[in-house]
Amino acid sequence: MQYFMALATTGLIMGIIYALMALGLTLIFSILNVINFAHGEFYMLGGYFSYFLLTWFTGLNPFIAVLVSGLMVALIGLIFEYFFLRPMHLGRIERPPEYAVLITFGLSFFLQNLALAVFGPYPHRPPSFFSGAVDLGITRVSADRLTASVLSLVLMALLLLLINKTWIGKALQAVSQNKDAAAVVGINPLRMNTIAFALGVGLASIAGALLAPSFSIVPDVGAVPSIRSYVIIVLGGMGSLPGSILGGILIGLVESFGAGYFPDPSRGLTYKTAFGLVIFALVLLFKPTGFFGRRRS
Amino acid sequence: MKINRRFPFQAKWILAGVALVVALLAPLALESYWLHVFIIAYFYALLASSWALLAGYAGQFSFGHMAFMAIGGYTSGLLGRYFNTPPLLGILLGTLLAGITGLTIGGLVLRFKASYLALFTIAFSEILRMVIKGESGITRGDQGLSVAPLFGTEVISRLPYYYTMLAVLVICLILMYWLANSRVGLFLRAIREDEEAAAARGVDVVKFKVLTFVVTSMIAGLAGGFFAHYITILTPNILIIPQMGLVIAMAIIGGVESLIAAAVGGVIIQISLEWLRQFEAWRLVIFGALLILTLRFARDGLVTPLLQRIFGTAPKAELRTDVSSNAAKEEVNLDEA
Repeated sequence: MQYFMALATTGLIMGIIYALMALGLTLIFSILNVINFAHGEFYMLGGYFSYFLLTWFTGLNPFIAVLVSGLMVALIGLIFEYFFLRPMHLGRIERPPEYAVLITFGLSFFLQNLALAVFGPYPHRPPSFFSGAVDLGITRVSADRLTASVLSLVLMALLLLLINKTWIGKALQAVSQNKDAAAVVGINPLRMNTIAFALGVGLASIAGALLAPSFSIVPDVGAVPSIRSYVIIVLGGMGSLPGSILGGILIGLVESFGAGYFPDPSRGLTYKTAFGLVIFALVLLFKPTGFFGRRRS
Repeated sequence: MKINRRFPFQAKWILAGVALVVALLAPLALESYWLHVFIIAYFYALLASSWALLAGYAGQFSFGHMAFMAIGGYTSGLLGRYFNTPPLLGILLGTLLAGITGLTIGGLVLRFKASYLALFTIAFSEILRMVIKGESGITRGDQGLSVAPLFGTEVISRLPYYYTMLAVLVICLILMYWLANSRVGLFLRAIREDEEAAAARGVDVVKFKVLTFVVTSMIAGLAGGFFAHYITILTPNILIIPQMGLVIAMAIIGGVESLIAAAVGGVIIQISLEWLRQFEAWRLVIFGALLILTLRFARDGLVTPLLQRIFGTAPKAELRTDVSSNAAKEEVNLDEA
């Protein structure tokens, strides 16, 4: 029981961070109807940016570095959206759904190789937020991961407030429900697209920056988190914000229990991500719309 | 009757014939090192063109093409290592296993929208890589699985491998060309233009998508088998996502709606990568940027328009006609069929 609770705690802590990243992907999907195949690369950029901010400006508060790297990546996302995704919504691109898959995958390929050329294949690790581990009574958790998890929770709460209470949030919801109707009441869907994309990749970047002290940053560091996010958004129901929070926590638990109870513990870690694929297949077989999915035209 | 004739019939075949003759005679002028470069280039051409069949004709995007290639290579390599299976039998079984895996994944995922295939295959590919890496007791993991050379250890010359890879490429291209221009190809294009309309006209949408996915997966598996028995060592690095990105860049930059253009893209890019060796990691950055720009500004790729210019035809008007005339043509074809 003790072991069970310990696994549940670590699973929950990681799951919350996974949810933050998946939330960004969901936000982009629900507004732009685009699956961002470069999501993992924005996560990677967040990690590198916070590393270099902290290396160049010694004494900088690490939390400021996380925030600034989020803003920098959001700016990159904004530029990319404007030049490569907006034309899609202006009818300048043939077969927009196919283009969306390929252009974001192309961006992922470009950014990963760019990171390899600029930063090299060696791992970079920014300094810890807080060193050591925290005793939660049930289990000991590294202070860095706990910090990342708590901050993710705060950010998610802020995002939900933004979505539900502010004008921009309501406009985003309106666009996600019906683009044309939103345009009729004076919301510019194109602007909402850009905002959603910048916000979404900013969240991925913050997740990357928050986890960078725990797992070092290498050019392909984004692969596993992005695949995890894909599983989460399918599980939660494509485009559903609560779905991706619930899905994220569930995947965190599945990975933790899966690795903890795997007959051969050293292999359990290898197969951690593979459990996600099994869940993916099960969702497609039994409930293709996920938890909170709705049919999309 | 074909609806998408891009070049005048004869000019196209004359060009293909010339290219084949050049490829057959090339070893006379190439030193052993460049022979190797071309063998690898043909391997990538095979991957790029089969990916283009799935993407450009059926409109389905697999990010797991390298995983099927690895299934082909590793199956043959492992069978050879543990059961002394002869290479050709191993390649055959590897190709079959790639097909069975394709059938399973396709059957599961292709009922849904195209993005689900992309999502599922990217996850499948990464997880297969982790399994190969993790089960190092069986697969030798990062140390590399050594595979018997196709023509035995006595043959040092690369010439037989060159002609084998070229033959595999040409045969597969002919097979895919035939498929793309058969009724199946017609149905695929109908599905890609408008899935619901195709279904309404009685096309079994899922069946044709799965069929294409299985065929292209098997071709990737076949390519992987021959690659493994040429390169003689396999590591999980052959199926990292950037490798997949490279194949996609080849197909897109070549021209994803033409099998030949995608294959030519594969050969040209692989050879350019060798040429640009001094730029090291920046080479792939260049091709990454080129991929994005091609997607945005030249959806037909860079090879297809070049060929069109040479032959002075403008088939675009025919290909991208308004929906009504396209539908009318398909109707005619469906009736004939």
